[in-house]
Amino acid sequence: MSRTNEKNLRVIAIAPSTRGFGFAVAEGGTLIDWGVKSVKGNKNLQCLMKVREMIAHYQPGVMVLEDHSAKGSRRSPRIRMLGDQIIAVARKQKIMVTMFSRPQVRKAFFSNGKGTKDALAEILANRFPEELRYRLPAKRRPWMSEAYQIGIFDAVALALMIQVPKPSS
Amino acid sequence: MSSAQLPNYLRANRKRLGLLQDDVAFLLGAETGESVCRHERFVREPSLAIALAYEAIYQRPVRELFAGLYQEIEKGIATRAQTASDRTCLKKTSLHSARKIQTLADMAARLFSKDQNL
Repeated sequence: MSRTNEKNLRVIAIAPSTRGFGFAVAEGGTLIDWGVKSVKGNKNLQCLMKVREMIAHYQPGVMVLEDHSAKGSRRSPRIRMLGDQIIAVARKQKIMVTMFSRPQVRKAFFSNGKGTKDALAEILANRFPEELRYRLPAKRRPWMSEAYQIGIFDAVALALMIQVPKPSS
Repeated sequence: MSSAQLPNYLRANRKRLGLLQDDVAFLLGAETGESVCRHERFVREPSLAIALAYEAIYQRPVRELFAGLYQEIEKGIATRAQTASDRTCLKKTSLHSARKIQTLADMAARLFSKDQNL
């Protein structure tokens, strides 16, 4: 099984979070897997093991991650370290790694470059109603924590960055 | 490069319908989702009856559900059709064998060109 060809580029996107990571695997514009992996104990080690398993299973050609070193990124030191470790794993497996910052993702999905995670999740649920509509969390109120499954939407947004057309202004 | 597609897309189709492995196992007449898990992880290939059951559940043709596997099988047939065509060419030609050579050569050409287009 080859990792990729031009028509069916298999993309894996990983969105690390406090509980584990959200992931999305896309091929030729369709989602072939999506979800959240939660881990306990040594979170980075557990996450890396799960990422390795996913790479072995899906043999992606490209891995997409959030650019945690971008200016204004507010990811925790643990997640920054996990990001670096995931990149190292991917490079070792000869997978191309692409990174996008949060503002780049927002620019791709919102015409004015401004929007919340909830709004982005709504856009993605409309784009993939069968796959994501039932995972769409209720709109977050100021006193609520971020929903567990929002990681899926973060990952799907990253995966689509490889092929997303710019929104019309 | 042999194939760009995964051996099967069972997991994507199951998730799309919001079903659990246990739900699918029940529909297949199995007791637990273990066999479904094995199929989805490409550890085991399902029997013909189970493959057809997957088609009935997911409403997708078997060749789409098992796209990578189908592609591998097609490639094998293309190679063997080419070999069979070459072998038949070496034998004494009759009207029937000419027809057979044509069929096999067309089959190999069709399947090879399909493979190159993927």
